[in-house]
Amino acid sequence: MKKQDKYLVTYCEILLTSTITTILVVAFLIVEKEMLLGAIIGLGILGFFIAKGRGIPHKIDQVYREHPCVFYLTIVSPVIIAIVFCRHEHFALFMIASVAIYATACLGLTLQLGYTGLTNFAGAAFLGVGGYTVAVLTNQSIPNVLVILLGGLMAAIIGSLLILPVLRTRGHYAALVTIAFALLFKTFLEINDTLGGPQGLKIASFKFFGLDFNEPLLGSSFYLSYVIAALLLMLVVFIITRLIEKSWLGLHLDAVRLDETVASCFGINIAAWKILAFTLGNFFIGLAGGLYAQMLGHIAPTNFTFADSLILISIVILGGIGNPLGVIPASFLIIVLPEKLQFIQEYRFLLFSILVILVLVYRPEGLLKRGLRSFYRTWGRERKLEN
Amino acid sequence: MDFSLLDQHIINGLVLGVIYAMVAVGFTLFFGVLNVIKFSHGDVLMAGSFAALIASLFLSQLGEFPTWLNLCISLLFAISIMATLGTLIAQHLVLPLRGAPPLNTLLITLMLGLAIREAVRLFYPNGSNPKPFPRLLPENSWIIGTMEIRQDTAIIIVGGLLAILILNLAIRKTRLGLSIRAVAQDPETARLMGINFKRIVLGTFALGSGLAALAGVANGLYYHEIIFDRGLFLGVIGFSAAVVGGLGSLLGAIIGGFLFAFLQTIGAIWFSVPAYKDVFAFVVIIMIMAWRPTGLLSEINSDRV
Amino acid sequence: MKTSLLQVEGLTVRFGGLTALSNLDFKLGEGDLLGLIGPNGSGKTTCFNAITGLYKKNSGSVLLRNKEITHSSPQNIYRNGITRTFQRLRLAIGLSVFDNLVIGDAMHLNTSIYFNVFRRSNLRADIKNRLEQAEEILAFFNPKLIDNIYQPIGKLSMIDRRRIEVCRALISKPSVLLLDEPSAGMTHEETRDFMTDLMEIKIKTPKLGVILIEHEMNVIERVTDRCIVLSYGKKIAEGDYRDVSTNKDVRAAYLGED
Repeated sequence: MKKQDKYLVTYCEILLTSTITTILVVAFLIVEKEMLLGAIIGLGILGFFIAKGRGIPHKIDQVYREHPCVFYLTIVSPVIIAIVFCRHEHFALFMIASVAIYATACLGLTLQLGYTGLTNFAGAAFLGVGGYTVAVLTNQSIPNVLVILLGGLMAAIIGSLLILPVLRTRGHYAALVTIAFALLFKTFLEINDTLGGPQGLKIASFKFFGLDFNEPLLGSSFYLSYVIAALLLMLVVFIITRLIEKSWLGLHLDAVRLDETVASCFGINIAAWKILAFTLGNFFIGLAGGLYAQMLGHIAPTNFTFADSLILISIVILGGIGNPLGVIPASFLIIVLPEKLQFIQEYRFLLFSILVILVLVYRPEGLLKRGLRSFYRTWGRERKLEN
Repeated sequence: MDFSLLDQHIINGLVLGVIYAMVAVGFTLFFGVLNVIKFSHGDVLMAGSFAALIASLFLSQLGEFPTWLNLCISLLFAISIMATLGTLIAQHLVLPLRGAPPLNTLLITLMLGLAIREAVRLFYPNGSNPKPFPRLLPENSWIIGTMEIRQDTAIIIVGGLLAILILNLAIRKTRLGLSIRAVAQDPETARLMGINFKRIVLGTFALGSGLAALAGVANGLYYHEIIFDRGLFLGVIGFSAAVVGGLGSLLGAIIGGFLFAFLQTIGAIWFSVPAYKDVFAFVVIIMIMAWRPTGLLSEINSDRV
Repeated sequence: MKTSLLQVEGLTVRFGGLTALSNLDFKLGEGDLLGLIGPNGSGKTTCFNAITGLYKKNSGSVLLRNKEITHSSPQNIYRNGITRTFQRLRLAIGLSVFDNLVIGDAMHLNTSIYFNVFRRSNLRADIKNRLEQAEEILAFFNPKLIDNIYQPIGKLSMIDRRRIEVCRALISKPSVLLLDEPSAGMTHEETRDFMTDLMEIKIKTPKLGVILIEHEMNVIERVTDRCIVLSYGKKIAEGDYRDVSTNKDVRAAYLGED
């Protein structure tokens, strides 16, 4: 086969994969009958194995590296089409926004756990810090966008209170610090009356330059504005995470994670890099928490339990530890699946904990393994061209 | 300061100390033989208290048993079930992953804890709510001077201390204990000396988990109620106690347990809002980790280059 | 008289009751290749760990070009120009050859967030320069390694990994290089090739001072100008290989004679 023909076939395959995935995802979001949902899941799994058999994930990876326009065509445009298609479906839009928000938080965790190797088992607590900051500040006369930024900032600041023990401990001991913080945070919320106690707080609607997010946007569901805001937030955080990974910064973070002794023998200031990753990660998680609180309109301590922190960690593991792109399908799986299949909703923590144990035992790098670092698009290609 | 209240605080602190010490001893044992922290330990404890509850309710369905017999059977049932569970966990999740990165073991045991917690919540009828634990101990009080102490409390303290003491003796005097210490010192040499490594590890996990079940029952008997997420709290506190005492040291774990209970009691007196007791405990954990990252009684943690 | 590079005086390291290194003195001049030998557990690696700041020194001093670095952090000691390799290879297996090499020159990388996130075209130019730099140093050791520059370390053979580790230590152009038993896990032929490379480095960078920990005596005989013998943390002999190998204390330490 000629080289051009081969490319054409690859493009067709990618386009087909993208179309089928979009249709399945949209159908999954809209359909309510459990029989049908089961059929969609079955089709999805079948499609995944067929695609894997034909080596499509690998091809997609290659083509995306060479031609980012294909990336926009096959990922960004289906998302827009899906949103337009679902514009009247409150629940579907709510799900999309939730996935984007959880993915944003998990990008923060990727920075901490995936790149730097810092265990943070208080993800939901930092989500809560962002959420409660927003809840307390929205009713003041501060612009809403600024309030969400303050939520992120607050998470970073509260996180810096933990910096000293996090820096001084490793492994199990470091885990203990963040677990203790997660439990502390929830217990504190439950008994603190000014923060609403177990009942939580109500939050006024999000306003952006006179645009009220709780009013229907352009005759669609009012969740549409939140979906757009959440996707934009996710995109910005994703791009920043990616840029960090593909630069000297990411290399330093990896060096700190992989071998602290070697890193210090080559002049790397371990504490400084850990502080950067921990603080920036918490900032991202706080931003996500702020927007999440805005969207929910009401938050309570039960939104931010230790089990939720473990769910965030599960997303990072399933997506492939340190693989920012993997976080998005993993969030979809973990957030949407139990919401749609009501009979597993109650059992979700149990099911996901078992799933994560199985993944860790049989596929320790996660479902979508993180690839080698490339610093820019044509990375690793120059040499092959010369030959 | 009301002195009778102070007495109550001291007694309460002692009970907490005994329970914490029992949990901490488990952590220290596992760490000693395998260098792992089993984060699901607290949930094994909680499951143990539920096992005892089921056995006790089942017995009272069968007919009139003397309470002491009911207690003994329930206790034995809980201990044996949890020892089995501990062995299974060690055999299928901890031992096969010895070569894996420590982070994976950590995540697996955390997730396992969540799974146990959720299984109890979901499969025990109405498991999300606190469950009353039968009062199986005599509730009369003894008056010693100005101090009033209830018999159930005294039995818990004495029983717990006795259990720790027996375990301590067992580790020091018996063949199994000798093997456990040998493995903890140097697994390779122990293996060369003909000690069955796997059996020792499984035995240690059975021992530690059985002790956790005992701690769970003690917790239930003391508070008269149990709830599915209490194990997480006790596990974190027990781990902290073991860390404070220096992981791997049996005596350290016991001291750590009592020290922790002492600090928490001080916290309860200080804030006079009992609800803040747990918040205070966790703040103390974080502060101790910042001050002495590997415990007060220090553990050597050198990186071989 | 050669200019003195590294000067170690009365260096003592204790772990609890155990004295791992006691009162060690030695000097390393520019262009010296000093062998450090001794039985297992005699304190050779401890000496490296103490010089590079990983272990605290109980007493004694370390001077680099007459500058006191005794109590500096590993980071500062590296910046002053001492780099090392490790007895058991410590490369990042999951990272590419390029990543591993560039880490060796971490002190010269621009790590400002502004530069890395917002000045991508400048960063890209910087990365291209680094690629050339890495290829240059690889070409010196083994031109075939250049083809593997984008490959993960895990795909390389043992000797190539050793070479990468030495490249990582050399890429920042240090003034002192500490090699911790580079021949461990290599065949005789591989060791010979490696030592030939080492001699070439010496010729290309005549001012570089090297300390080499080695078990194989024929290697020591072939490449070093001078060697120090350690036993139970003490220096028991110093001189060229012929003197040392006939020394009575040295024979006793190695063969257990008294």
